[in-house]
Amino acid sequence: MSPRQRPLEASWSAHEGADCLRVVGSSIDALGAGPRAATAASGPDWLSQVLAVFPVFADGPVPADFPAMAGEFLLADDGLCFRPRHAFLPGQEYELRVLAPPAGPASVRITRPRPVAADRAEVLAIFPTAAELPRNHLRFYLQFSAPMSEGQAATAVTLRRASDDHVLPDVLLAMEPELWDRERTRLTLLLDPGRIKRGLAPQLEAGYPLSAGQDVVLEVADTFADAGGAPLQSPAYRRYRIGPDVRRVVSVSDWTLAPPTAGSTEPLVLRFDRPLDQALARRCLTVQDERRRPVAGMSTLGEGERDWVYIPDQPWAEGDYTLSVNPVLEDLAGNSLRRVFDLDLTRPEDAPGSTAPTVLPFRCS
Amino acid sequence: MGDYGLSQGILNLKSIGAITFGPDGILFLADNVDAAVYALDVADSAPPADAPIDVERLDARLASYVGVDPAHLSIRGMAVHPVSAAVYLSVMRGHGAAASPVLVRVLAGGAVEGVDLLEGRFSRLRLGDAPRADDERQDVLLNDTSDAAADYEINGVHLKISRIGLRASTITDLAFLDGTLLVAGASNEEFASTLRRIPFPFTDKAQSTALEIFHVSHGKYETASPIRTFVPFNEGASVLASYTCTPVVQFSIADLLPGAKASGRTVAELGAMNQPLDMISYRQDGAEYLLVSNSRHPLLKIPTSAIADQPPLTEPTEPVGVPRQELAHVGVSWMANLGPARVLMMQRDETGELALHSNATYTL
Repeated sequence: MSPRQRPLEASWSAHEGADCLRVVGSSIDALGAGPRAATAASGPDWLSQVLAVFPVFADGPVPADFPAMAGEFLLADDGLCFRPRHAFLPGQEYELRVLAPPAGPASVRITRPRPVAADRAEVLAIFPTAAELPRNHLRFYLQFSAPMSEGQAATAVTLRRASDDHVLPDVLLAMEPELWDRERTRLTLLLDPGRIKRGLAPQLEAGYPLSAGQDVVLEVADTFADAGGAPLQSPAYRRYRIGPDVRRVVSVSDWTLAPPTAGSTEPLVLRFDRPLDQALARRCLTVQDERRRPVAGMSTLGEGERDWVYIPDQPWAEGDYTLSVNPVLEDLAGNSLRRVFDLDLTRPEDAPGSTAPTVLPFRCS
Repeated sequence: MGDYGLSQGILNLKSIGAITFGPDGILFLADNVDAAVYALDVADSAPPADAPIDVERLDARLASYVGVDPAHLSIRGMAVHPVSAAVYLSVMRGHGAAASPVLVRVLAGGAVEGVDLLEGRFSRLRLGDAPRADDERQDVLLNDTSDAAADYEINGVHLKISRIGLRASTITDLAFLDGTLLVAGASNEEFASTLRRIPFPFTDKAQSTALEIFHVSHGKYETASPIRTFVPFNEGASVLASYTCTPVVQFSIADLLPGAKASGRTVAELGAMNQPLDMISYRQDGAEYLLVSNSRHPLLKIPTSAIADQPPLTEPTEPVGVPRQELAHVGVSWMANLGPARVLMMQRDETGELALHSNATYTL
């Protein structure tokens, strides 16, 4: 390289509103006034014979005989632009190669910038928030701050044994499709129900996914990519103690309810006998007045999914109210008001089809 | 080629899924986000070809062409052009809401060419009975007991899951048969599993038939889960369809009446925790055979002659039904006929490399 030569330099630019990769340097200059003048006559394909852009794969550069990235080369004032047919991907590294003499071979790499960390998605919450899960625990929910990519739950979410950080294999069920809400910000993860329901082949062969008495950590790796492909701000964790199985129907008679004072907007506080499913508890509990009209207000679920608090928009009137429970409401092990997820045949009181009460009356005075 | 009601314009495709060729090299493609099928002139004027196609590291070649790591690519469909024998692949590039549809053709030797999806000669039919994208019942709940829930089967456990995925399964597979596009998938009806018959050129008349099958591993009749993949056989008189967890069911084309509910004849049960990926029909020594590729089970070969004689399976039992043969081809996903004498298979080997391989039909 003579002292007057400039190395290849790549940068990002825009051309007619499209993002482009701009490159300058002696190798580009060496394509020369002659060839440049000839470009129009030779057609735009001429530049594609001597230049090519490739993505750089995670496991290394793309072999020379692979198809180059689709797009076109455009002559700019001081160098040359590549306008891709498919937009550059944030976080992806690209390599421009000058293929032939006299200018090449030469190459330069540049990485498409990602959104800055503060703009990246984060895990807002991991549910349940209860400290202890039953051994037959059924599902977790991950709440993200932004829409996420699909197809990563199986690799980016792990359940580890707290004592030695050992990843518990095949505990979380690989789902295709994954269970996302419409906004793609909330992911439902299932523990393999086949290993929880007694008597099924996976349960007999592999046993319960969790063991009573152990501590486990649910980890969401920061590699979990958002809808644009960018990783999370940081990984997220929640630690749980695993307790005994829970195989009883959810019964409103086991709950305690503190009636608020008439004329006040005191919260109605409902205490469950065990943690309930966060998503269902949010939508399965409603309050009606004497005339069965819904009472407008705001509900919150307490930490640990053990308490439900309802604050009315208007003060409570003196009189009778009803707390109604949609019988699909479940606890952490999938037991609802109507049935046990994994029925114990020796407990006839848990037989499906029972008509256990789904209302809890209370009086404000 | 004829006009077929195609006209030049902007496609505005939101996604791309199943693809299949129709008359005169017109490609039908599914857009589930928009709940539409397109007929597209792919303008492939390459001379007729009849040669095997074998391409190693297929996904890496595609990824290079669209400028991403192979991890950001998912192949959604494959079809072979009836004249040029180029391999057309529908691909989603990127993930989630940022994913974009791409259509490419792969040539013998591994070259990749893009097919314009922005503008072209096309005709579009929006499916009026597709599950709504803004369906209120889209909060994801397992063991939801409402009627809106769809049936899922996971590791032997029956779960009811609300309709979050149903829109994405509006169109699961396509086939062109005697001037009619057959479109399998889900509808907004109570009996969601549907097989639509759409005359081509498109009019506004799509005829939908709800489907009912006996799902052996569930031990019950089912109308919710859509067909995953299907193939016409027996000179177009029947289709064989396969479902997740994995009943294989015969339907007579004559039974597919508009607005009716067709009951299929379950002729095989390939087993739970398995998803069928693709099916094709081919001839060998004058007889017709079907191949079924699977997510967990081997590639299976079924003689169509056995299907007619198979009594319907109506009892929950272990994998049974028509006789079939396991083939040794590893990791087969998409398949297509490459002329009458070859079957093209997309295969992922033990090291994770994806490739296209041509197989002479006499070897299968």
